[in-house]
Amino acid sequence: MNQTVVSYLSQYEFYDSLLALFGNNQGLLAFTIFLIVALIIVGLCATIGGLGTYAERKISADLQQRIGPNRVGPYGLLQFLADGVKMMTKEDVMPFTADKMLFYLAPMLALVGVFATLAVLPFSSGFAMADLNVGVFYLIAISSLVGLAVFLGGYASNSKWSMLGGMRGASQIISYEIPVTISILAITLLAGGMSFGTIVGMQKGLPINWFIFHNPFAFIAFFVFFTGALAETNRAPFDLPEAESELVSGYHTEYTGMRFGFFALAEYIEVFVVCGVAVALFLGGSNLPVDIKLDIIPIQIIEVVIFLTKTLLLYYVVIWIRWTLPRLRVDQLMSVCWKYLTPMAILNLVGCAIWLVVFNGKSMADMVFGH
Amino acid sequence: MFIQILFGLSALLTIGCAIAVAVTKNIMHSCVFLLGSLIGIAGLYATLGADFVAVTQIMVYVGGVVILMLFAVMLTGGKDYVSKAQNLLGLAPNMGNKWTYTIGLLVSLVFILTNVKLVSSVIKANPAKTFGNEFPSTVNQLGHLLVKDHVLAFELSSVLLLGALVGAAIIARPRKQ
Amino acid sequence: MIPATFDGLMPIVILMSIAVLLFWGGHFASVILAPKKPSHLKSTPYECGEQPVGSAWSMFNVRFYVVGLIFIIFDVESVLMFPVASIFREMNDMGQGGYALIIFLSFISILIEGIAYCWKKGDLDWVKSYQVSLNDNNK
Repeated sequence: MNQTVVSYLSQYEFYDSLLALFGNNQGLLAFTIFLIVALIIVGLCATIGGLGTYAERKISADLQQRIGPNRVGPYGLLQFLADGVKMMTKEDVMPFTADKMLFYLAPMLALVGVFATLAVLPFSSGFAMADLNVGVFYLIAISSLVGLAVFLGGYASNSKWSMLGGMRGASQIISYEIPVTISILAITLLAGGMSFGTIVGMQKGLPINWFIFHNPFAFIAFFVFFTGALAETNRAPFDLPEAESELVSGYHTEYTGMRFGFFALAEYIEVFVVCGVAVALFLGGSNLPVDIKLDIIPIQIIEVVIFLTKTLLLYYVVIWIRWTLPRLRVDQLMSVCWKYLTPMAILNLVGCAIWLVVFNGKSMADMVFGH
Repeated sequence: MFIQILFGLSALLTIGCAIAVAVTKNIMHSCVFLLGSLIGIAGLYATLGADFVAVTQIMVYVGGVVILMLFAVMLTGGKDYVSKAQNLLGLAPNMGNKWTYTIGLLVSLVFILTNVKLVSSVIKANPAKTFGNEFPSTVNQLGHLLVKDHVLAFELSSVLLLGALVGAAIIARPRKQ
Repeated sequence: MIPATFDGLMPIVILMSIAVLLFWGGHFASVILAPKKPSHLKSTPYECGEQPVGSAWSMFNVRFYVVGLIFIIFDVESVLMFPVASIFREMNDMGQGGYALIIFLSFISILIEGIAYCWKKGDLDWVKSYQVSLNDNNK
């Protein structure tokens, strides 16, 4: 069922006293709890997104034997705050040929699409804001708003670079949604449900129980998913919509100041969300390596830390890939998607279905260790 | 309470954006308002408890059809070419003679009657009717129905989509002389 | 009181409204803080320092549209497969795994047929279709 953070907290005793404090108004209390948790999650993700820009520059500097940002704060850690303040104080320029309404709407749509995905991200078994029945499916659907925002941002600017970037971006994002969706279908098949609670709950215990090691097809599906997800977030080697050496800055060429900042924020949070989804679907999510029956809040916090650690490690890999691999050409981009990833994803789906029936749902670990 | 508010907001979004689609003269804005209207409909589905249908609405219409429409508009080059076509009466000589008015009247009559029929059945219906609780969610219910009762429709829809795919590919293919 | 099944909607709506508020908050902060010295040249679209010629809203190649069409068909297929996939394990546990597998595979095989057709005919080819249309223009 739809478990939420409110229904999780309601099993504790302090919930009743909180309820009395709110005059037994369930709806108001639920709203307050959701609002507080939402603000915490948004704050956390905005910080991670901001630190993402810092990490990006620092890691790229490491990979290229430079120093990177080191002026603001210890080791330059506060660089992202300085960048934020800078963006707020920059003049807001809009091309006089631009479509004003869509010019405002596009970054807002990107932000809405990315923030809405945070609702189902399973930070721990209890602290996911909402564990919907249609969790993964909802996440795929709502994140397609970002593709739309990329297109509208490119269109509204009425600049040639933006327009080309926007068209490329939208077609790239919708193309790579196919292998990603089909890889997720394979995991839905193995887990027997679309909610993150079910999927993460199936991967309890040692890493050998993770879905990535469930069978050989799921192992390949992880790489298909990860490649497709990189392309959906416009990360290098798939950053054609904003290829700086050919399209200046792609769909956000004409965006300045805060609105550019929101596009960048949405992009970095989306990378975080995608890494989180990869962790939840394939890499065991927030499960502890040992099975603890005790369900108290400190355990939940440890789970959150495990989830964030895994996600940030994957985030590091994403940045590493960006500064290692060269950019694809447009025709290569399309053939990678339609001729390699999509057939592979379908093959993995068929393989997982056959595996499930032939071996009666057992994973490789079950068969090796025999339980 | 929350559901009522959400229902009201979704309904307002749907109707407001639908009116804006018809009123606005910029075809790109029209597409974007249509997006708002479709999201509103997804909200209506969600408030009715049909979570899977709501998400499908977002997935197919917002993620697919609206982007396809925007691409289709870009085939014609966007705004510049379209603003001329607003004068429908002058553009198409068949618009606005007595036949079109008669047909329009008949169509709207049928439309009104259908709506009255629909709304009256809603008013007469028993509001306490709920879903059967044998399934943990609507998704499982849908899955069981697709695999058991409606398996032929499920398989045929695949054939239908194959036809659509082949048709789309053929129409969009550059023609050889 | 809110029924339990509708509870999941509230965080989504709250997060979406936070996003909208954050956007407008940032916008108004920049309206207050940022300098305002508009000039005509500053607000021309960026074209590497040249005077822009014409509008960017020009006709685009039909291949984007084809990608969109193929995407929608795959999208609908995956929407139909999701409910079946999520009960697959349940049916397997009930001993109907073979039946479910046959239904699922026959659905997917038609999907594979479609992609094989498009591949064979070169509709998935980005460059080839472009060259064909160029030849058409020359004739």
